[in-house]
Amino acid sequence: MKLREKIVVLVLALFCLAVHWRGFTAWFRADDFAWMGLTLGVHNFADLLKALFSPLAEGTIRPLSERAFFMAGYALFGLHALPFRIAVFATEFANLALVASVGDRLTGVRGAGFFAALFWTVNNSSATALGWVSVYNQVLCAFFLLLAFHFLLRYIETGNGRYNLYQWLAFVAGFGAMELNIVYPALAVFYTLLCARRFFLRTLPLFAVSVVYFVVHHAVATPDRNPEYALHFTGSMLRTLGKYWAWTVGPMYFWTPVHAPNWLVMAGVALVSLGLLAFAVRRRAAWFALGWFVIAIAPVLPLRDHITDYYAFVPAIGLCWLGGWALARTFRSGSRAMYGALALAAVYLVMAMPQTVAASDWNYRITMRARDLVEGLATVGQLHPGKTVLLEGVDTVLFWNAVLDHPHRLIGIDRLYLTPNGQRHIQAYPDLGDINEFVLPADLTSEALDRDEAVVYDVRGPRLRNITSAYAERPRDLRLPSSVDVANPLAATLLGSEWYAPDGNHRWMPKRATLRMAGPSAAGQKLYLRGSCPEEQLRNGPLAVTVLIDGAALPAAAIRAGENSFELAYGLPEAATGQAVIEVAVEVARTFHTASDRRDLGLAFGVFEIR
Amino acid sequence: MWRASAPLRSRVVLAALLLAAGACNYEKVPKQPTIEEAPRLASTVHMGDPTAAAQLVSGFHDIEGGGWRWTQKQFAVTLRPPAQAARKGAVLELHLTVPEPSIEKLKRITLTASVGGTALAPETYRKAGEYVYRRDVDAKLISGDAVRIDFQLDKAIAPGASDLRELGIVVTSVGLVAK
Repeated sequence: MKLREKIVVLVLALFCLAVHWRGFTAWFRADDFAWMGLTLGVHNFADLLKALFSPLAEGTIRPLSERAFFMAGYALFGLHALPFRIAVFATEFANLALVASVGDRLTGVRGAGFFAALFWTVNNSSATALGWVSVYNQVLCAFFLLLAFHFLLRYIETGNGRYNLYQWLAFVAGFGAMELNIVYPALAVFYTLLCARRFFLRTLPLFAVSVVYFVVHHAVATPDRNPEYALHFTGSMLRTLGKYWAWTVGPMYFWTPVHAPNWLVMAGVALVSLGLLAFAVRRRAAWFALGWFVIAIAPVLPLRDHITDYYAFVPAIGLCWLGGWALARTFRSGSRAMYGALALAAVYLVMAMPQTVAASDWNYRITMRARDLVEGLATVGQLHPGKTVLLEGVDTVLFWNAVLDHPHRLIGIDRLYLTPNGQRHIQAYPDLGDINEFVLPADLTSEALDRDEAVVYDVRGPRLRNITSAYAERPRDLRLPSSVDVANPLAATLLGSEWYAPDGNHRWMPKRATLRMAGPSAAGQKLYLRGSCPEEQLRNGPLAVTVLIDGAALPAAAIRAGENSFELAYGLPEAATGQAVIEVAVEVARTFHTASDRRDLGLAFGVFEIR
Repeated sequence: MWRASAPLRSRVVLAALLLAAGACNYEKVPKQPTIEEAPRLASTVHMGDPTAAAQLVSGFHDIEGGGWRWTQKQFAVTLRPPAQAARKGAVLELHLTVPEPSIEKLKRITLTASVGGTALAPETYRKAGEYVYRRDVDAKLISGDAVRIDFQLDKAIAPGASDLRELGIVVTSVGLVAK
């Protein structure tokens, strides 16, 4: 590497650190804890393979950028964020070096790549990509795409087949980062078609790998049922493309921290867009830069209802090359166009920079709140081993970023809940998760406090405050719950003596078992039973499940072959409506044994719920 | 193509080794201080909880297996009455195990508890196993913020060559719970 190149990389790295300092010093939040939590389920090699390669989170398989990255990082460094940050930013520094190097080669103008890297650094899409560790998949995906493309350019320049091999290796490795890597053959083919026809045919075989990946991924990944991730192959794709374009050349959501009027921001976006298109119109390599944006954004265009800032992170590189090229070219020409290019660059920077810094700061503040909670809980776990921990005062931001993904499992707390009615202060996002899973019913809370099996902490300050005694003195709501998780050890007081001890997230019943809960609050509500039924139990045909409410049998339901995870729904008698206590009895038609478990096993239950 | 020079490579390796060595000494989960309440008595004492040991007045040996303690022939504990116990009374619950060697030697063991000098109904164990000694405690026996409970066994294994301790029963928790 020449001295000039070293200086370029150093300047870009320092500029990146300066803009994203809040990203570099941020902690963890949300999905980060879920990915690190995968290590808890690894006890042997088979577990490791499953943790690395089984489809998770919208059916994605990202062994390098998510699974291995978080699992190895957590195993080595625990909940210390700095090593993770160093990895993220080191990858980004490599990306900036590649953007600069490829930009110069692509345009043939020295300095174009440098300006492109500067523009990319301040782009709004980079705030989340560099600030939230879980979005490392974007940073690593950009790395593999840029690296593969860098080797393609070197192959074209030198004709040395070694670079072609490196291109293939980088391309194949990119599938470990993210599915977006599938577009690389289109980028390579588009470039060679425009600028290096001699190599066009030699890039076509790349498509074979993408096709195989698509087929295999489609076969093994579970389709996401979340409506937000539904694919819409309609005219909405053009609208989505327009949004991503506008948010790439201007501020995301047209929002600026200085509250500039919307018309002004849109005028700025229009000016920068016109400038880029005017520059691109007569240059073939510039079409490639535009093509990079369109090709890289294409896979997410059908996601009409899930538009996300960091999805533009990789596509933005194309437009940044274009902008960098325009600026460097006009600079070198010394023409009056230089002033126009400078003005447009300034407009872009003024629109993008404040939003990027603000978004980075917003993310940082959330991660700091998550750190205060999780590191405080680590102390709580040490002070009160084995006790259930209840949190008072959890708000929307804290819940979705520091509770939902079970960070408490990483610090040795098995049971963590919100205080009864704690969910009232939290905005629900059913697509992300169920808040009720974290709410301990009032009567169980009362029992746990009386038995000294629970401690209560107020999370509203920077330090967790133990308020167990004061909370225990408050008037108590002793109504029975309308939802009972029978696997929760604290629910034992609601269960009949027939139940077996809990087994993790479920509890087995023999042929018959009972429990107490509150009756329906309104007519028409139903009783839902969720649990699992193994194949052994269904070998002799469907399993009839009878439910009795206060001794009166409800119409029987049955579990059939293939319904190993079941949810049964029963209409409830009118007489039960408004009852403070009802007795629910469940009876199955038969029981079974296994070689390793000689108990009479009926069904394994999770939650009984009336809603 | 850019290649790492030998000195640079060795520097990178050294940095990686230092980082890994540092990682080995890391406290895996950093901790932040919390604001704790003034210590108060617990209504239920879990034998594995070292912070509640002050409530074990006498007759308990050290924690074993992380969650239980041997008792002597006589043992006593101080507990905080649960909410409204002064009005409604409470339930005394002693979670215990009668070990096989004790039954082999002693044949049967009778356990009695007393609160404020008033004896509660005894229970006799003739088989090894896990039991819960559960007795209602009348509201008039409960007053103030602390209640002393005394337990008495009719027999215990005397100190011997293999174990110098007097061994009664194994206890996992003792508590006063709300009615």
